[in-house]
Amino acid sequence: MLTRIAGGRVIDPANGRDGVGDIWISGGRIVEPPQGARAEATYDAAGKIVLAGAIDIHSHIAGWNVNTARLLLPEYHAVAEPRPSVTAASRIGLNSHATGCLYAAMGFTTVVEPAMSPHQALQTHLELADIPIIDKGALVILGNDDYLLGLLHAKEGEAAVADYVAWNLDASRSLGIKVVNAGGAAAFKENVRSFSFDDVVPSYGLSSRSILKSLQRAVNGLGVPHPLHVHCNNLGLAGNAETALTTISAAEGLPLHLAHLQFYGYGKEGERGFSSAAAPVAEAVNATPSVTIDVGQVMFGQTVTISSDVLRQFNARNQARPRKWVIFDGDSNGAGIVPYDYRRNDFYNAVQWAVGLELFLLISDPWRVFLTTDHPNGAHFATYPEIFALLMSRDLRAQWLAELPPAAVAVTTLPSIAREYSLVEIATMTRAAPAKLLGLADRGHLGAGAVGDVAVYENDPDRAKMFRAAALVFKDGELVVRDGEVVSYRWGRALTVRPDRDRAIDRRMRAYYEDRYGLSDELFRVPEHALSRPEPFELVPCAR
Amino acid sequence: MEHAWIAGKPAALAAALAEAGKLLGSSRYPLIAGLGTDVAGARAAIALAESTGAVIDHMNSGELLRDLDVMRSSGVMLTTPGEARLRGDTLLLVGPRLVEAWPELPERLFGSLRPTGAGAVERRIFWLCPGDDAEIPAAGGRKTVTFGKEVKDLPALLAALRARVAGRSTGKVGVSGKVLDEVASALKAARFGVAVWSATALDALAIEMLCGMVNELNAKTRFSSLPLAPPDNGVGVLQTCGWITGFPMRTGYGRGHATHDPWVFDSQRLVRSGETDCVVWISAYRAVAPEWRESPPTIALARRGTTFRAPPSVHIEVGCPGIDHAAVHHLASTGTLAPVAAAQSSGTISAAEALTRITSSLPDKEARPC
Repeated sequence: MLTRIAGGRVIDPANGRDGVGDIWISGGRIVEPPQGARAEATYDAAGKIVLAGAIDIHSHIAGWNVNTARLLLPEYHAVAEPRPSVTAASRIGLNSHATGCLYAAMGFTTVVEPAMSPHQALQTHLELADIPIIDKGALVILGNDDYLLGLLHAKEGEAAVADYVAWNLDASRSLGIKVVNAGGAAAFKENVRSFSFDDVVPSYGLSSRSILKSLQRAVNGLGVPHPLHVHCNNLGLAGNAETALTTISAAEGLPLHLAHLQFYGYGKEGERGFSSAAAPVAEAVNATPSVTIDVGQVMFGQTVTISSDVLRQFNARNQARPRKWVIFDGDSNGAGIVPYDYRRNDFYNAVQWAVGLELFLLISDPWRVFLTTDHPNGAHFATYPEIFALLMSRDLRAQWLAELPPAAVAVTTLPSIAREYSLVEIATMTRAAPAKLLGLADRGHLGAGAVGDVAVYENDPDRAKMFRAAALVFKDGELVVRDGEVVSYRWGRALTVRPDRDRAIDRRMRAYYEDRYGLSDELFRVPEHALSRPEPFELVPCAR
Repeated sequence: MEHAWIAGKPAALAAALAEAGKLLGSSRYPLIAGLGTDVAGARAAIALAESTGAVIDHMNSGELLRDLDVMRSSGVMLTTPGEARLRGDTLLLVGPRLVEAWPELPERLFGSLRPTGAGAVERRIFWLCPGDDAEIPAAGGRKTVTFGKEVKDLPALLAALRARVAGRSTGKVGVSGKVLDEVASALKAARFGVAVWSATALDALAIEMLCGMVNELNAKTRFSSLPLAPPDNGVGVLQTCGWITGFPMRTGYGRGHATHDPWVFDSQRLVRSGETDCVVWISAYRAVAPEWRESPPTIALARRGTTFRAPPSVHIEVGCPGIDHAAVHHLASTGTLAPVAAAQSSGTISAAEALTRITSSLPDKEARPC
């Protein structure tokens, strides 16, 4: 079917396009305007903004941790079901179906689940497969696993690490590698209670730094498009900007992605020993071109924190609001589920909110800073429209600042920042740049050959309203959303990479699982047939 | 070879499925119970519930919800069977019938610990109220310490042990203070201890007491816990319900959206009170019929050999996941949802397929879009 989206302002930073024009789609892909052909379906976009489908690089939407949060907080989901968009609390328990619908309504067409534990990969993929409309991908977590730490301890060399990383990407059907507080979960099992970048996992004698560097080299060497995705040490602690700066300098010229940097933007200034250190952190990011970051913006309201940083979550469990939590010592990993309520009148929460916006506004290159709330850790992804509005209006930020505790505002630079994001910068940050960061050549842009994922918005001066409910959304060329309402459903795919490896690793892993767990490694792999969808995966090419 | 019956008389599979659709189509308050099925079966059952406004419940919801109620009202520390096996230098087994709940338990957890960089450590095992018939293991030549004779004393003993761990005094509880102190100090000396229980034998208050003690032990050392999963893929169905509905089982679609209420949607209660007028009973793992004496109109999707008090309105023999057909379900040995191949592929219809075919035969209601 030949579809034409006619006469909108097309903003396509990847192709340097910003002007009124048409987008043509055929066979699920964007095509050059055909000569003399008539569209079978024409959608009038005059006066509207036409963007590629948005891509979220870091949102916890599936897997045992997320599902445990649902089961932990039935009261929130009970609020959600009858009236899905009323309150912040009502969004917490989202099931898989609602997750896909809500993302699609905002014009998002690809979302990455960033924290898949290797042994729980199948559940993550089963959940992803039940999220309708959008395409998905998952990052598999390494860095606390006995096999890897054993390899590094025995100084087995880079090729052995790379083969193991490649085996994990394939077995768990992942799009990339994440490391969470490298070594922290392993150290916590040995009763270590705080763990910094140069601290050592006792049994293996390995520093967090050495684990991270090995994984960074392996990911880079394998040609996996997405750089190593890093959750740093010391999340949430006063003074942890030092950790962020140290980790940024450890990139050493190779690509490195730092997740939810807001949670590492804290100094120790002021009466309460807690302040924004976003400015020096942003400066370091600006000065380090191989580093990309996503923000992990905090927005006020009830949420639940879901993290594989078990050490951090354990230490935070007594701050749970409401007072209940799950702490999980998993196979080669960990997790913690701790509900939390970010309050506008809370000094610390107000500083956190400001730190996120400072990072957005002080990092100058929209190709290297990404919108996330670390859903649901900083806020629910449904708050993205409000964040766009804040980024695009200094006046709106001033209104919010006026309602915050003055002591909190005083320890940030936010009031002094005049920058306002343009629509082109928003399009870069949420479309062009994430596609580049994930190596998705046919996404995030509107040039010929791109996947027919298109979002059309009313050009409403109320930017939150504009981005909350897209006027039209096309997925693979089919209309799926009209005026913020889902009008048709389809099943998306999970994006994966499969770099080459020496197949000897397959035999070694089989032997390792038999020896260590007394179990077959097959029990932890993700076979395609287990997902009962026609084409559950789409392979993304690696650079080599 | 298919086996299906309508009102006790042999019938073609297609006719039985059509009859099931007809019964459900005219039901005012259907109940999908048993739910002993794999992940695909649970997904299909939930889709059928959404289409018909039915309630979903599992035959082992009682146990599952006891553990879950503790989690969703306080705090719990959990670990995996793998970590318990590899790292658990101190095991605290709590209550009777643990090996019945997990037949591989002795093989998986009672062996010696692997030597680690820190040298070999012998595993120590303590068993509170093992019951009369438990086979008491010896781990690596070290005798298991059992304490507590009568299972009914378990809550009081657990409370006393928690008090001793916290350094508080206790009244008389039927076990000497010396033994309690010995156990308490062993728990505190654990490097990575693991409490193991089955909610089959424990009430929610005892589980909460145990979880509270595990949390307190983490003030100084590392301790976690491993609740054993009930049979019939209870945990797999629980997880599947979680991501599809947002809730555990005992969830109903009567209002057009999912609502969860452990009392209202208890299948036994719904049958005994006569509220439900049509039951879909699913037991694909074991030849198990419902416990209730009442005989509401029933569509049974059950493993070969299941006998019912009265012939169900429709009875379809379904394959056992992992035997007759490949499946995904929860495995006690991994603690995860895992893929299993068919041990002896038989072509017997799976519960998932039967449910999907019943759903598609329903008169066109407002079905879920996907």
